[in-house]
Formats: sequence, C-alpha cells, structure tokens
Amino acid sequence: MDYALVQAANGLVLGIIFAVIAVGLTLVFAVLKIVNFAHGELYMMGGYFAYYAIELLGLSPFPALAAAIAASFLLAALLERTLLTPLYSETTERKAEYGILITFGLSVALRNLALIVFGPFPLRPPSFVAGVQQWGPLILTNDRLVAGGVGLLVLMAVVYIMSRTAAGHALDAVSQSRESAAIVGIDPRLAYTLGFGLGGALAGAAGALMGPIFSLSPSMGILPDTQAFVIVILGGMGSVPGSIVAGILIGLLESLFTAFFPDPTRALSYSNAFGVLILMVILILRPTGLLGRRHMQME
Amino acid sequence: MRRVRVPVVLALAAAAVIYAQVVSSYWLHIAIVSMIYGILAASWALLAGYAGQFSFGHMAFASLGGYTSALLVQWTHLPIPLGMASGTVVCAVLGSLIGWVCLRMRGPYLAIFTLAFAEIVRIILLTEYAVTNGPAGLRVPHLLGTPAKLPYYYIALGLLAVCLVTMSALAHSRWGFFFRAIREDEEAAAASGVHVVRAKMYAFAAASSFAGLAGAFYAHYIGILTPELGSPDQMGLVVAMAILGGIESLPAAVGGAAGVETLQEALRSAGAWRFVLFGVLLLVTMRFFRNGLLQPAWQRLMHPGASEGKVT
Repeated sequence: MDYALVQAANGLVLGIIFAVIAVGLTLVFAVLKIVNFAHGELYMMGGYFAYYAIELLGLSPFPALAAAIAASFLLAALLERTLLTPLYSETTERKAEYGILITFGLSVALRNLALIVFGPFPLRPPSFVAGVQQWGPLILTNDRLVAGGVGLLVLMAVVYIMSRTAAGHALDAVSQSRESAAIVGIDPRLAYTLGFGLGGALAGAAGALMGPIFSLSPSMGILPDTQAFVIVILGGMGSVPGSIVAGILIGLLESLFTAFFPDPTRALSYSNAFGVLILMVILILRPTGLLGRRHMQME
Repeated sequence: MRRVRVPVVLALAAAAVIYAQVVSSYWLHIAIVSMIYGILAASWALLAGYAGQFSFGHMAFASLGGYTSALLVQWTHLPIPLGMASGTVVCAVLGSLIGWVCLRMRGPYLAIFTLAFAEIVRIILLTEYAVTNGPAGLRVPHLLGTPAKLPYYYIALGLLAVCLVTMSALAHSRWGFFFRAIREDEEAAAASGVHVVRAKMYAFAAASSFAGLAGAFYAHYIGILTPELGSPDQMGLVVAMAILGGIESLPAAVGGAAGVETLQEALRSAGAWRFVLFGVLLLVTMRFFRNGLLQPAWQRLMHPGASEGKVT
C-alpha cells in the first residue's frame, strides 16, 4: 500500500508536468489549427536550454528555468515565422497535411540536430533543491516537489493569461474565428506567433523542470509527445481546462497501472503503452476526441 | 503503367543491369537497401499522396511483416518465401483493419492514431524479449545461402518492379480514382457514389501489404531485425524520401528513396550531420517545393511538351 501511495504522489507530479506539455499542444491547436508533432522536441530543447544556462552561463537553477522558458518561446516563435506561414495563405492547398508533414519533419530535424550538438549521452542538470522530504511512508525528492509546484504555478499562469488578459482574449478570439478577430482589430499573424511561442514556452518549461528528475537525452521528447496527444484527445483538442484535468488523470492512472501491473519486469514498458491504448480506444469511439469543441475541428 | 514510355523502361532496366556489373558489392548493397526503401516510400506515397491518408504507422507494418516472417520461419521451419508471403498477408489483414478503424478520423487525428499504433507495436516488440529478443535484435535466417550480393540485387529489382507495376495499376484503376476523390473531398466523393469505406480499407490494405513485403525481404536480407525498424526516425526517413521525390508520383518516390539512401552513404564522412541535412532538406522541400524535387523532372521526361502539373 505504501508503494501505491508513493506511486500516486509521483503520478500526481508527473500528471502536472504532462498537463503543462499538453496545454501547450492544445493552445497551438486552438490558435493555428495544426497538431504540432514537434512539440516533444521543444520540450527536449527546453531541458537543454536550462542545462546550458547553468553550465555555460553559470546561472543558478531557478533563473536558468526562466531563461529556458524565454529561449523556448523565442525558438518556437522563430520556427513559426519561418516554417508555418504557408498555413495562413489562401493559395496553399490542403493545409492540414502541410501542418502534419512540416512539424513531423521538424521533429526529426531537431532530434537529430540535438544528437550532434548535445551528444547521445544522457545529461543531468543539477537539482533545483537537493534532498528528499518524508512524511510517514511517503517519500518524495525535492526536485519532484519543485516540478509539481512550479508546474502548478505555470498552469495557473496560463489560465490567468487566457481568461484575464487582452492577449489571452485575442488568442481565444482568433481560435474561434480568424476573420471575425481580424474585423475587430486583432492581427491574426501576431496571434499565431504568440500562440505558437506560448506553446513552445510551455513545452520548454516542462522540459526544464523534468531535467533533474529524468535526465536529458535527444530522444526524451518522443514519449511526452505521445502522452500529450493522449491527454489532448482525452481533454478535448483546444480546451485548456480539459487538458489540465486529463493530464493529471493520465499521470495518476499510469503510475498506479505501474504499481498494480501483475508482472513487475514488464510494468514500466507497458505503462507507456497503457496511455497510448487509451488514446486509440477514445479515437475509435469518438474520432474527434472526448469533449472536442465543434468549432475546434479542422477547417 | 500504360503512361510510361517503353524506351524509358528499357533504358532504366539496362542501366540497372550495367550498374550491377560495374560497381563493388558495397554499392550493390546500397542499391538493394535503396530498392527496399523505394517500395516503402512508394507505398507510403500511394496511401498519403494518392488517398490522402497520412499514416505514420507505415514502418510499424514493415516491422510486423519482418517479425511475422522471421518468427514463422523460426517456429515452423516454413520456407522463407512462404514466410515472407505470410508476413505480407498478415499486414494486409491488419492494414485493412486499421483502415476500417480509422474510417471516421481525419487529418491529424489519423496521424496521431497511427503514430500511437506504431508506438504500441514497438513497445510490445521491445518488451516481449522472450520471443523477439528485444532491443538486441532477432537473428533471421538469410533468404539465400550465399553471401553474394548479386542474386539479392536482382530479387530486389524484381520485387520493386512487381510492386511498382501493381501500385501503378491500382493508382490508375477505378480505385485509384476513388482514392484521389476521397483525398480531395470525402463528402463529395461519397455523394458521387464512391464507396468510401471500402476504398479506405483497400488503400490501407494495399499500402500495408507492400510495407510488410518490404520489411520481410529486408529482414531476410540483412539477417537481423530490431524494433527500431518501426521507430519514428525510420518513419521520418521514409516520409523524407517520398516528399523529396514527390508524394503524388510513385516512381518519383522511388527516386527519392534512391537519392536519399545514396546521399546518406556518400556523406558518411559527414557523420550524423547527414540526418540533420535530410531533416532540413525535407523542411525546405515542404516549404518551397511541395510537389517534390524529382516529380517535376519525371513529369518532363514522361510527357515532353506537356505543361507541368500534378499527376491526376
């Protein structure tokens, strides 16, 4: 039972981080109407940004986290400006497939670039706060507490931005109708850059938070990427609150699945397949995801 | 392949035979691998470019074809060609099943679903090491008893030719026409009497069985099979090949596969940088030359004088 309790606590932390990643993915989908297959690679880049801010610039971990978020935002905004502009042109045919292929190509390119620049060996950034906390049978490392706490703050910040600020309202307006938003004076191009940048920043934040826990490697983004798909499909494409709830749910369920799977030698590998299986079942039953909003469907 | 001119086919066949006589066994090996990837890229182009079904599960089918054949041969001592045939059949059945399941999914949802399918296949192959030997790789008996490359080269050439002719025939048949109708507008196609359910299942079944055949041949040629064959990076490679060649033309996709594979070997001294190069090349092609690099050239070769445009 103690093991299950620890697993549940770990699952909660993991779920919060999954939610941060998934909210970024869902935001990009809501605003740009594309599924970003390179989202996991932005998560990976965020981790490496934080690592090099600490190792090369000599920052301490928390400022490095802020630097990583800013760098991820800029990287994502730059990628959007250079690669995604055909999505907004009236002359581009079959935009959905352009979005799929360009981001899929980007994920392969970034992953292999990271393999050269950062090397194939796992790197481990220093802990945010060293040590562990213990309450009775429940043991958690400080890094996990930091990841969970900061992750929650990030989620609250996103909800605040989306519901209380002019920029958030502008993004929401563009996600509902680009033409109507343009009529009331919102520049859609600015909204696209902001939306994609914000999505990248969220992925980068998650990567920087997970660095000290799971170590960094060029392929670290593949799994969270699939998890984020599961969450976004579960929570509804384009729905920020849905992604938060679904993220935490998936994190918890997966950890408990690992704890209760009958064959412990295989539990860890199959816990990854578990989420993916949920995804496939949901898509079979509801091809646009649970809770998918009507106006969020592809044009 | 009624559109292809006879002299071009003869010239290509002659070039293939001359190539086999002059090059070293190393470049023969490159050619064999290129042709296997050629089948994979062309069948993906059939599914994605013609039918508009952007599946990222294509390499999972190659993997399944390979493992099915290898394990059947290992367990039942089936002759290897029969094993390869069973791998192909298994992929055709599973492919039509996936096509049926994905009926109502559009664009990115289909891509996510097939990516998830590929991940599940890879995770199972990695985890059940008692059967598959996991990440270390399964030893697979070779198709021929000889280490010589030349027989493999001609078998690969034959397989590629048969696959291309079959795929072209399909693409230019009624069903190929239905595929393109579905790609352009599913509702309009259905309203015009296209049997969408059946057409999608056929497209998936056909593309997956070619992938399974290619995977099985690859396994029995290389002699070792790892779950990495179905990894997202391998899928990315095949997508890059098809896109660089031209996603709406089968021969162009084969050309893209040969080009990428050859460049990959020629740039071996550049180390891992070449993968980045392909990624960037893919992005630039997608961004600026959406018809691919080879397809416009092929078009001009096949239809001199005709104005440029998409194959319809």
